[in-house]
Amino acid sequence: MRDNCEEKARNTLESRQGCLVKRFYLRWMILMTIFGSISILGAVRYFQEVRTISPKTLLSIQPKETVRLMGMIDAGSFMKATENEPFRFDLSGEGGKVAVTYTGEDPDGLLRELKTIVVIGNWESGDGEFQAKEIALVPNYGFITSAYIFSLVPLAFFLFYMERRVALLYVMIKDEKVYQPETGQ
Amino acid sequence: MVATRFIGWLRKYEKWFGLTATVLISAGLYTGLVTSSPDYYQGEVVRIMYVHVPFAQTAMLAYSTLFLCSIWYLWKKEAVVDNACHAAAGLSLFFTAGGLITGSIWGKPTWNAWWVWDPRLTSFAIMFLTLVGYLMLRTFLDDKEKKATFSAILAIIGFVDLPIIHFSVEWWRSLHQPLSVSNRGVSIAPDMLVPFTLMSIGVGILFSYMLMVRTQMLYLEHLLEAKQGRLLNEGQL
Repeated sequence: MRDNCEEKARNTLESRQGCLVKRFYLRWMILMTIFGSISILGAVRYFQEVRTISPKTLLSIQPKETVRLMGMIDAGSFMKATENEPFRFDLSGEGGKVAVTYTGEDPDGLLRELKTIVVIGNWESGDGEFQAKEIALVPNYGFITSAYIFSLVPLAFFLFYMERRVALLYVMIKDEKVYQPETGQ
Repeated sequence: MVATRFIGWLRKYEKWFGLTATVLISAGLYTGLVTSSPDYYQGEVVRIMYVHVPFAQTAMLAYSTLFLCSIWYLWKKEAVVDNACHAAAGLSLFFTAGGLITGSIWGKPTWNAWWVWDPRLTSFAIMFLTLVGYLMLRTFLDDKEKKATFSAILAIIGFVDLPIIHFSVEWWRSLHQPLSVSNRGVSIAPDMLVPFTLMSIGVGILFSYMLMVRTQMLYLEHLLEAKQGRLLNEGQL
């Protein structure tokens, strides 16, 4: 890389330092494009498969498709399933309240009063009930995003600073004629 | 001449480490954030594992490198080896801080606490403080040889914390989960093992790359400082 830049600097008006700096930023742009694309794919997955809505939003948008509804099971509203009856409870969140019915197993005792859960199913506007087909854990995606941002962003800045510093130091030292590497020429 | 040959070698091979780390981390992030399934007990939050565990493992790898490097320095007394030790300490501190921060963020939704005085967490915090002490010691001392020797001794003494960190989840009853990959087998679902392995190896290789870059940075800074000092003495600056 260094030799190409030196050759280019000899043949064109571009300086060797300019050539190295250009390559350095190009490399970082490629890296940012790769990791930016992965972040976008992660965000798409979140919006398609993980994002939840609150009971208040459910009542205002009245969705026809399957949605993930997150809320807390109201105290005194929980009725255990019997042979003929499904689980029944009220789910509340952001000031809205929705009656939920769920036919199926209680996964690991998730269903209890004052527990915040996610129910996956359809809103039956005629009955005024949310029919859940599946129960899921609260996604807590804010924590996941924070963990990735607080670790990978400082890592990128740290690495960027070090690489840039090394590139500049080589140019400065070459100018001062202090260091001539023995290998890699 | 040993130093210039060593730096030349780092410069020649660093790009392969950087490239491998980029490929592995990209694949690890893609599988970890997009294709892998949520955990049965923890749900989506398990995805923090793909960044927390590699950071924590790499912090320990970096400290082990610092330990070996310090022994090497005390044996050979090469200035460039001291640059590598200094670089490993800075990187170890960075990854230790990353491991503690991501662990704290993971602790809140799973343990309902940002921090607990658990043996694993406490011994890890001790490693963080040892590294802060190491870097402070280097800042306070002016004599280059004393600085390198005393800090190498401190790093060797501080290494006693590493087995404690590793085995703390086995020796004491701990809130922190036990080892997922040990001689008893692998207790991670294959679906999660793929991003976990890719990220662990990828961040480990990234550390090697960063060590190569940082060692060059510290070596060149000292070289430039020496040159400029010489110019100052000669009245040229």
